[in-house]
Amino acid sequence: MFDRDVWQEIFNTLKTNKLRTFLTGFSVGWAIFILVMLLASVNGMQNGFVGQFNDDATNSVFVRPGTTSEAYAGFEAGRRIQLKNDDVEYIKKSFPEDVEYISARYYANATARYKSETGSYSVQAVNPDHQAIEKTLLSAGRYINEADVVNKAKVAVIGRKVAEDLFKEEDPLGKFVEFNGLPFRVIGIFTDDGDDNAERGIYAPISTYQRIYGNTNDINMIALTYNPTYDLTKALEFSRRLEDLMKRRHKVDPEDQAGLYVFNYAEAFENISSFTAVLKGIGVGVGFLILIAGIVGIGNIMVFTIKERTKEIGVRKALGARPRQIVNLVLLESVFITSLSGFVGLLFAWIILAALGPMFQTPAFSNPSVNASTVITATIILIIAGVLAGLIPAMKAANVKPIVALSDK
Amino acid sequence: MIEIKDLHKSYKMGSNSLHVLKGINFKVEEGELVAIMGSSGSGKSTLLNILGMLDGADSGEYTLDNVPIKNLSETKAAQYRNKFLGFIFQSFNLINYKSALENVALPLYYQKVPRKERQEKAMKYLDRVGLKPWAAHLPSELSGGQKQRVAIARAMAAEPKVLLADEPTGALDSKTSYEVMDLIQKINDDGNTILVVTHEEDIAHMCKRIVHLKDGVIVEDKKIEQVRAEQYV
Repeated sequence: MFDRDVWQEIFNTLKTNKLRTFLTGFSVGWAIFILVMLLASVNGMQNGFVGQFNDDATNSVFVRPGTTSEAYAGFEAGRRIQLKNDDVEYIKKSFPEDVEYISARYYANATARYKSETGSYSVQAVNPDHQAIEKTLLSAGRYINEADVVNKAKVAVIGRKVAEDLFKEEDPLGKFVEFNGLPFRVIGIFTDDGDDNAERGIYAPISTYQRIYGNTNDINMIALTYNPTYDLTKALEFSRRLEDLMKRRHKVDPEDQAGLYVFNYAEAFENISSFTAVLKGIGVGVGFLILIAGIVGIGNIMVFTIKERTKEIGVRKALGARPRQIVNLVLLESVFITSLSGFVGLLFAWIILAALGPMFQTPAFSNPSVNASTVITATIILIIAGVLAGLIPAMKAANVKPIVALSDK
Repeated sequence: MIEIKDLHKSYKMGSNSLHVLKGINFKVEEGELVAIMGSSGSGKSTLLNILGMLDGADSGEYTLDNVPIKNLSETKAAQYRNKFLGFIFQSFNLINYKSALENVALPLYYQKVPRKERQEKAMKYLDRVGLKPWAAHLPSELSGGQKQRVAIARAMAAEPKVLLADEPTGALDSKTSYEVMDLIQKINDDGNTILVVTHEEDIAHMCKRIVHLKDGVIVEDKKIEQVRAEQYV
């Protein structure tokens, strides 16, 4: 393998047939280039999709009320379903094993004022568990706690943008800000990596807002996370049970899709991962097909080379070359061309990705890149491809009868 | 050294079979210089191919240096060829991208002789055919006679039991032919066994024995008075 003479011979054939070597190598290099670019693109799409979801817990489930579309249990169609505080308690009690965090949400809008600055923001009134469900990151202060909810405290956790808009250079913590004329104390500031808009929001205790809006028990939706040890099947099974139970409780036809929505992130993730898996499959498939064309090209050239060198191989055999030595020579040459040109293709793809990849940061496509496993796989594929391309020509070469070299008159 | 008993060989030509060798019996002692003569189609090349283990016989016995040569695998045949035989071809068959020295060293490479020793040995044989100054030259830079001398050095390098020369002067003019024959005679003088296939009378008479083939049988086998090639050089 590391025999100087063998390499000398390989280099010599390649050197005397530069154009031929280049053209053959190009087909394989190009194939690998396309394969890597395709895989990187799929990776980019995957990164884009996952990036859109990653600030929410991936095991979250949302329950939203709707309006019934079917008559059921003596009620007419078109009835509005209203969730209440006790729905949260009910779910918590019914699924003690399944539910990890649970929080009600109450939506409101607030015109906020601090000194001379005003702004209009959306307020989510929530329970303390909500922090874990939304993966809210605090840059200062604390989140809403149980005591705030019990005391119906007028406290607020404001987004970074809100803090910038209203407080400018001042430290908002502990200051009072007016929401629709009512003073709320700022207890925390949150940030959101992916989304500036999310930082224009405000969190307040659910009980506080329910009292402000007429001592109601109404809530707009329920957000929860299920046991993170659940796999997809268990997760989906849980959300089905949850949906059945909630529909029964609110007397919604089990078949009624409009009355009550239970949205499980797992489903969306399932869809995305099967989508990207299919894309990846297509990418690999197309790449392989192109690679096969390249392999056939190399095989073709090798057959040609062998034909050209029939006499030389015959002489070698007459001088005592064993068939295996001839096979090795041909295979090594084939693997060498394939690997070298493949690596050039890989390198080009990698350089382009490294240079341009970080420029792609759209929601649907971000940072296309290849990882080590792709590179290792490509290398193994190349070596196998080289062997495959050289196999038939090598056998042909090994079967050359030395007699051919003698009968040259 | 070589012993052949009742050797038969036929080739299939479509539906007919062509009986090329029809019972050859023939013995070569160590140190002999034998010319095998015959017109084309007489079977002399076939005989040489069988002697060179490049082709198998249909029936009969072939013993080389007391080793029976029969039913060899490709690998075994390659080993025996490398160990027992040196080939000299009409068209030299040097490898055109290798220097004279590398060409001579090639059989040693297949004997797995280490690189350095290989080079030394090859240089020694190149010196013996008088081409030491041309060691680094490619075959394309050598004349026909020089190429054949390189080929002879290559055949000698593996130190075989028998040298098989197939029309070694076929592609050379008469002066160069005599130079090559002179070299072959000198190698024979050192005790090497050599078989020369030729159809040229003068070349045959520079050997010590002539075996005449006609239509697949030996019609004549005689010892002759050797004509030294030296006097024509």
